[in-house]
Formats: sequence, C-alpha cells, structure tokens
Amino acid sequence: MTSLKDLDDAQFTELYGADRFTASVLASRMRYIVQHMCTGLLNNAFSLILRDWYDFAATISGPPEQNYPMSSVSNSLAMFLGTMSEAVRNTIEEYGPENLVPGDVVICNDPYRAGNHVNDICFIRPVFHGGKLISFVTLRAHQLDMGGVVPAGFSGTKRNVYENGLVIAPMLLYRDDKPVKASFNLIFDNARFCALLLPDIKTIYQNLLLGEQLILESVERYGTAAYLGAIRYATDVSAESMSTALAALPDGVYEAQEGIDCDGVDDSIEYRIKLKITKAADRMELDFSGTSPQARTSINAGILDTKTAVGVALKFLIDPATPFTSGAYRPIDIVLPAGTFISATPPDGAVFLYWESTGPVLLAVFRALEKALGRKAVGGDYGSLNIHNANGVLADGTPWVTTAQCGGEHGPWGATEAGDADSYSVVYQANNLDPATEAVESELPAVVLRKEYAPDSCGAGENRGGAAVLKDTLYLTEAEHWSSPLHTKSASGVGVYGGQAGALGATWVFHPEYRNVPRDKDLIATTPDVYAGATPVAGMLDPETRTIDPDGEYFYFASTPVWHTKPNAVFRYLTNGGGGWGSPLQRSPERVCRDVRDEYVTIEGAYRDYGVVISGDPHGDPEGLKIDHDATTKRRAELAAR
Amino acid sequence: MDAVETSVPEGLSVARDEVTADELKALGVDLERDFPGSSAADFRRYPVLSEGGWFTVVKHQKTLRSVSRERGPLLGPIVLTSDGLDVD
Repeated sequence: MTSLKDLDDAQFTELYGADRFTASVLASRMRYIVQHMCTGLLNNAFSLILRDWYDFAATISGPPEQNYPMSSVSNSLAMFLGTMSEAVRNTIEEYGPENLVPGDVVICNDPYRAGNHVNDICFIRPVFHGGKLISFVTLRAHQLDMGGVVPAGFSGTKRNVYENGLVIAPMLLYRDDKPVKASFNLIFDNARFCALLLPDIKTIYQNLLLGEQLILESVERYGTAAYLGAIRYATDVSAESMSTALAALPDGVYEAQEGIDCDGVDDSIEYRIKLKITKAADRMELDFSGTSPQARTSINAGILDTKTAVGVALKFLIDPATPFTSGAYRPIDIVLPAGTFISATPPDGAVFLYWESTGPVLLAVFRALEKALGRKAVGGDYGSLNIHNANGVLADGTPWVTTAQCGGEHGPWGATEAGDADSYSVVYQANNLDPATEAVESELPAVVLRKEYAPDSCGAGENRGGAAVLKDTLYLTEAEHWSSPLHTKSASGVGVYGGQAGALGATWVFHPEYRNVPRDKDLIATTPDVYAGATPVAGMLDPETRTIDPDGEYFYFASTPVWHTKPNAVFRYLTNGGGGWGSPLQRSPERVCRDVRDEYVTIEGAYRDYGVVISGDPHGDPEGLKIDHDATTKRRAELAAR
Repeated sequence: MDAVETSVPEGLSVARDEVTADELKALGVDLERDFPGSSAADFRRYPVLSEGGWFTVVKHQKTLRSVSRERGPLLGPIVLTSDGLDVD
C-alpha cells in the first residue's frame, strides 16, 4: 500500500476531498476543538472531580456511513479515550441515527455499552450541516455521584449492577436544545449532590455547543467533503504510524501474566491476566485467553476498558509521537473472552474500579514486549490508584465527600532509556491533575499532613524508577472510608533491561487512640516503630511490626469493607515504587551520590543495590557526602560476580 | 490479614474454529498463490475487537493476515439483561 507521504497531489485529493495542506489544517483544528471544549469545562466546572482532577475527555467522531471513526481526542484522561469511539457507535446505533435531529444531546453511561463506569456519562452531540448528519462531538465527564450504595461510588465492594449505581441506556438529554425533563429527573432522583451535578451538566452542554460551532465554522470555510476527508485522513495517519511502529519490532510470540490481589468479598481468589501477543510484519494480535473469570465485586473492568489499556500501552511503548485516534487500532486485533475480570458482563460483573484491573493489562503488555523492545523497554509504574473515598457530616449538618483526593492516587513511573522516572504523576493510563492541598483543605474537614518520597523505594537501575509516595491525611470529623489498594502483593514497578523492580506499597490507618496529631501536636513519624499500633488496611506486612515485608502476610483491603473512624484518624498511603531501567551497576557513582544527597536512596541502599560506597550525613550535610571509589570498585565486582 | 488459602481460578478462553479448504476457496483464497506452503489447518475463525468494533475474522495464524473480516454484533459477546425485551 502506498504510504501517505508518497501519494501525489491528485491521489491525495481524490482520497481525502482536499489537498494535503487543507487536510492537515483540519486534522489539527479538530484537535484544537476538543482541547478548547476541555478548557471550557475545566474553567467552569463545579465538582471537585472535574475541577481538580480533569476527569473528562472530548472527542470528535465521523458519521455512521464512515462507521464512526474517532478522528481527534483531547489531551486528557487517557482511560476514556479508547472507549469513546465504541461508546459513540454503540450509543447512536442503539438510539438510531435516523432518530437524531439538530439540537439533540444523547447520553449513555452503561459500562457494557460504552465502557468506563456509571459515573462517566457520555454526552454526545450530533452535528448537522445542510440537513445532513456529518459528525459527533462528545464529552465524557465524571459525575460526582450516580447513585448506588456508596456515596460517590468509588468502592471495590459493590456486588452487582444494582448496588453499583444508575445505568443509563442511550437516551435524549436535550431535544431542540431544550432539556428533556424526564431524563434530568431520572438522574436527579437517583444521584446524590445534584446541586453540583446540574451546573456541571449545563457546562458540559455549553461546551458541546462550542465544539459544534467550531466544527460548523470549519465546514463553512472548507466544505463538507474536506471535513469528512480530514476525519479519514487523521485516522489513516494513526493507522499507518502504528503499522510502521509494529513493523520495526521483531516478529514472534510474547507472553506475560499480571494480576491484582483479590476482590471485595474475601482474599481467597487472586485474579490473573494471561496475555499472548503474536506479532507478524506490521500486524499484532493480543489474546487474553486464560484470564481469570470476573470478580464478585466492583473491581472489574469492561471490554472497552481493556481495549483502551492495550492502545495506551502500545502508543506509550512503540508509537508515542503521533496523535491518538481510533485508527491506531487498525493493525491490532484483540481476542478477549467475555466474563473475565477485564471483560465483565451484567448483572453480576459489576464494573467500577476498572483501572485497577486494566492497569495490569497495560503492565502485561509492558512485560510481554520487554525483550522485543530491548533498550526501548519501559519500567512499570505504581500500579494502583489506591483511591480513597470518604464521606461524613459537618457539625452544621452539611454532608461532605472526598473522592480520589486523599489516598495514594499519585505516584511514580518507571524508568526509560532516556533517564530517571518521575516520582509524582498518575498511573500510565491517566493524564490528570493533582488536586491542590489548599483546595482539599478549604472544602473538607481533612488536613493533608504529608506528601513525600520514600527512600530506597525506587527500582534500582542505570536509570532509576520513581520513588514511592507516602501521604498522610488527618480527618477531623467522624467518617466512613472506602480504600482500594489492589496491587500490593507483587511489584507493579516492573524493572526492565536489567533494572530492578520498585518496592511494595501498603496502607494503614492510625486511630486517634493510638496516635492523635492534634493532641500530640506532632506528625506521625515514618520510622518502623510507629506501625506496630497502626491498623493495616492493605499490604504485605510483618504481622508483628506491621512494617512492609514482601515475605510477610497479606492484609486484605476489604477485611473491613467500610472503615468507620472517629475524629482525628489518619490514613497513611504508601504507593508502590517505579521500575528501574538497565543494570544498577552501570549507574555512575556520582549519580548515585546525588540520589543519596536528595534522599531518594540511603547510604545503605547505595551499597546494597548499586554497589556504591558513600560516607557522610545526607540530611545534615548533604553536600559533604563522599564516594569511596576503591571500595565501590570492589563492591561492584562482588555484586557482578553473583 | 490473610485468612484463607488463595487460588487462581481457571481462566476463560476464546475458541478458534477450524476452517476447511472449501471455505477458504469460497473466500477467494488460493493457498498456493496467496499462502505458499500453508494448508487450511493454518487458518482459524474467531471474534476480534479492533478499529471499527467487533469482527469475525478468518485469519492465517502465522502471518496474522485476515482473509475475511465480517462485522460482528455491536457489543460483541456482551449480553445485556435487557436483550430480547420486547416492549411493543
């Protein structure tokens, strides 16, 4: 097939209804449009999950006769992006494209039809020009609550779709640009915090109008044929780019396993992903046969979430430089049985913490392709968003809720050939903001006491993984908590190209009878002695000291499904560490010494993991550290001989 | 804390159906011309998810070349609880 670059001008115009320059301008403009929609929503959102987390995404899709190609996506929550081409197709095909008229907005939030979870409503606006349906603009945005048994929904303990929350099949939310009252009533009679939902939905609607307006301006200027051609062109560029990247990988069969600790019923079952990747020429097939059946509670992911994880992993590893569209999947086939914990089915396969199950999908792709990639392999990240969801009531009776602000939601990435990894980001499948401490504390009876890096948690390597993040949050009122660390049994921070894995994380609660920050007027220390009286929430721990021990016992995250705490309880989250890249013995002693100075690595860790002998006082005299080069040479020879 | 023995249950799989030489011929495949050295045993039929949704493919397993890609159900293998409901 002729490369897009090798098409002559006449061939290009014939294929895409416009010259090359116009098609490129329109493809770029579509990316501008979705970004502009997101900026509009971010600047005007009311609820914390939109305003502080950027928990939304916008896309543009082509019309039914093109099979709904998704030609542009916003630079936002990646977990939404792979689901949205199918979400638009499945929603509109079920609703019936022939039933659409200008002025409509159709919604759907069903994980089995549209992916993600019920709080993530897809708002889809058909765009008409000259009486003809030519496109769709879509905003998918997390709603703070969508009913179900847990306020705000973030829980791994809900057992089926009925406990999970309100499921909305494809239906109209606006007709003739007027709200459909019955649809609003359906949501507002089932969801909490509607005073926040209503202005958010109005903002979403306005940004759909903005997207539509900008598309129509483009069509007026360049014509319908050029616009529709540019949609095809944008997806063809992605498809060609992914094919070219695949062709550069060695052919072969690559296998890996990954998993999560358990579900929310008990800890008797581990859930395992089996992945077999076959790669031939410029094509790839990913077969998930052998993957564990769906979980008994809401830790499952849907099929479309797994598709997203595959797309994100492959874009990340082999084709990171070109924009993501639905065309990226053209040379890729996914083989996935229904009814696994990464392809759950209704009504028992409740989907909520879907990223906890598809994070291992991404890591399995990373693991499987490590050898094929060689130096281009990428270390694993911290693996679990460790989301903390809590609610309570203020003294005046006002209810409060915190979602994904005060757990271990941010942490490290894995190292690459290019250098050391960042230590404070979101998991690879997300692309969001970190809620500001000031925003958290101004709206919640919570105080963020610590956000700091844990020494010796980085996966050692020539380039080291990111450091685990330790975060303490004090809750000033009584509260109910749902905690969801689901990847603590084994390292998610996979080491690659000879690098080592990152350390394991864990979660504890310090009840006020044991440690009381306001009473003691001091933070809770991070030394090993403080954990013996803490209550473990999750992790591999020594049963006596309750410190992390990879060979210890597993403490189960839902042993107490809802953690009820008195005022002044503190939750401590420690994320997993990021994976290292390359042999630690190849890291220059000077770089290791800088890590000791910056307290990413201790003097003991430098000796143990890197074979670098350093003396001095990293905390009291960080610039006075000294490297013993002779002793380092001897120690490294010892380590190399092992 | 760890209360009961942990297990990994047997996983689920996608069946890959065999394809006959006659079926390949009906799809316009000339084995000698298109896939020299291969036989019908090198092909399988199964559902996949890709760009554009679900498809049932007939695919040469060594080269991953599809000789047939037919559009599958909108939701693939998902069966909704409302499927089959007739409200008319």
